[in-house]
Amino acid sequence: MEKICVKDLMVPISEYATVTVGTSLIDAVLALEAAQEAYSSSKYEHRAILVLDENHTVIGKIGQLRILKAIETRYDLGCDVEKLSRFKFSDQYIADKCEQYRLEGPILDEESFRTTANKKVEEFMQRPTSGEFVSEESSLDMAIHKLVAGPHLSLLVTKEEEIVGILKIGDVFASVFHKMRNRKGAL
Amino acid sequence: MNELQKLYERIIQRVNINLRELDFDAEPYSTGIIQPEQMNKFYAFYGITTDHPLNLVFKNSGLAGSYFLGKCRVSNSLLYKSDIRGDELKREGASFQYQGFTIDLNDDELIDIRDSALAKTLVHNFSHDPETPEVFFIKDTLAMDYANIHGAPTDGAFLGPFATVDLTTIHDSVIGTYSYIQAGEISHMKIDPGTIWVHAQDQFNFYYQHDPDLLKKYASVVAGDRPHGIIFDFIEEHEEAFQRLFDAVNIETIESVPKTASLDRYAVVLPNTTIADNVLISQRAYLENSHIGKGSNAQENCYIIHSKLDGFNVTAHGAKIIESDLESDVFVGFNSFLYGKKGARLHIGKGCIVMPHTIIDIDAPLHIPKDHLVWGLIRNDAELEQNSISFDALKAHKTAFNRGNLHFEGNGYLFVKAFKDRIDHILDANGAFFNGENNTGHAQRNQNLSLNTIQPFQFGSMKGLYPNITIEL
Repeated sequence: MEKICVKDLMVPISEYATVTVGTSLIDAVLALEAAQEAYSSSKYEHRAILVLDENHTVIGKIGQLRILKAIETRYDLGCDVEKLSRFKFSDQYIADKCEQYRLEGPILDEESFRTTANKKVEEFMQRPTSGEFVSEESSLDMAIHKLVAGPHLSLLVTKEEEIVGILKIGDVFASVFHKMRNRKGAL
Repeated sequence: MNELQKLYERIIQRVNINLRELDFDAEPYSTGIIQPEQMNKFYAFYGITTDHPLNLVFKNSGLAGSYFLGKCRVSNSLLYKSDIRGDELKREGASFQYQGFTIDLNDDELIDIRDSALAKTLVHNFSHDPETPEVFFIKDTLAMDYANIHGAPTDGAFLGPFATVDLTTIHDSVIGTYSYIQAGEISHMKIDPGTIWVHAQDQFNFYYQHDPDLLKKYASVVAGDRPHGIIFDFIEEHEEAFQRLFDAVNIETIESVPKTASLDRYAVVLPNTTIADNVLISQRAYLENSHIGKGSNAQENCYIIHSKLDGFNVTAHGAKIIESDLESDVFVGFNSFLYGKKGARLHIGKGCIVMPHTIIDIDAPLHIPKDHLVWGLIRNDAELEQNSISFDALKAHKTAFNRGNLHFEGNGYLFVKAFKDRIDHILDANGAFFNGENNTGHAQRNQNLSLNTIQPFQFGSMKGLYPNITIEL
């Protein structure tokens, strides 16, 4: 089988949507929208944004789920969950209360939109964990293992110490599926 | 700076060192808790009785207006109008049961107060700490006005005004104003004002949080200021009545008190009050125009005014009952404030349990049905509906429920049983069930109590402190 490595499938960092720390959620969403609009003229589809620090180093990632979680802020309404934990209530009781308050509270109202829109990206971005990095020279096998073990929707691709790209689960899946289809007769 | 002021500053420092991890500074609260200029104006007194071992050791301490009974050691501490009541301490040869352990006592238990300052604080019951069954320690602790330390050893603690720690060992913790904690053992906790927490491992967990804004009206303190609020004002309005009791050496006996009942000579009893058999009225209790039915009791700092208690009613330390009618077997918990009004009386049905630190403040008559548990703040029927539950309904809860600011998890049956058992024990210990021969308790034994006084230094660098004294039988 033809050997494919990570750099063959990754999206170069220069072509990915990025924002810097301090950007508000609403500006981050606009950046994502702009990147998606450019999809027609680009071969990459964007579902996430990378967050860069002042040195242009990747320090986090924001996907659609993270944005929805930032909007859904009903965890602490009417009840200080942290307090219940200190006062020895069981994990099950606390989980039930969280769910109850989440269900009781309105999510999409004017106030929550306003509050969420002004949140800074660093408040809700996903910080990369050690298992989320993969070298650009790594094999596709290694990338699949890391995506499955995470599980992760994407991996940050490194060249030495520098992040040079994003490896998306969709691109890995497409590559594997393509190979399987081509070899169907031999399987 | 005299020795008393130096001692106070040293106590505050020790408390702060213990509470450093909580980022809590006791110093701003210390102003006014112990007022050095007041500490030489009041004598201390102690009870003498053959029913309790007497062993008092006072060393480098101020004891103004404080009362001692039983075995107590006070060193490097300042006590102001506090009651150190050692009549329920464990005795040599007794056994203490704790989670399957039977712990035998080699010596009589002792209340050991070190490096602490207590203002108008009640210390009672016995140590429930299995690690120190013979020592009920209070160490590096600052307790503000009307705090209750009830069977709760403390090592590094700040207790805000009207705070109660009950059957709980406290390590390096802050207990906020009007909070009640009964949880076995706590460590490095900062408890917000108005927290009511009753926890028994693997049995039940009761947690209620008073609304901070509403609680401020009744009891509050801010750093650098004295406590304030309706409850504090209420006490101050009635304080003058106690002055005569402390000024006079001998107080005339009230003949209408039955032979089976006990009325402490430092309790205020104003007309037209009637006291039935087997009643216990403790020091600093205040009774006015009320009927105290058979077997009932009014503990330290209780106020019962224009009220009727049918019988076997427990009014725990610091509880206040005004313009209320209580059927029999009603328990009113620590520091509760039942504030009925003329034309807006409170009626509590038979067997009810009013949780510690409950506030009922009504402007229209309110009726609580029999066999109900009530808690929190209740000002009308709607709040009663939210903050009460029948015993039958509570017993049926086997997992958890939530009502308003109350969270309950565990077995409701065990919760009711634990309270009922404890109430029964209190009545028994107080002599409520005395039948003329058997079941004697505090009500009968306290009749054989006489009092002695001790005085502080009036001049010099030791002014306000007491000489080192040992008193023993």
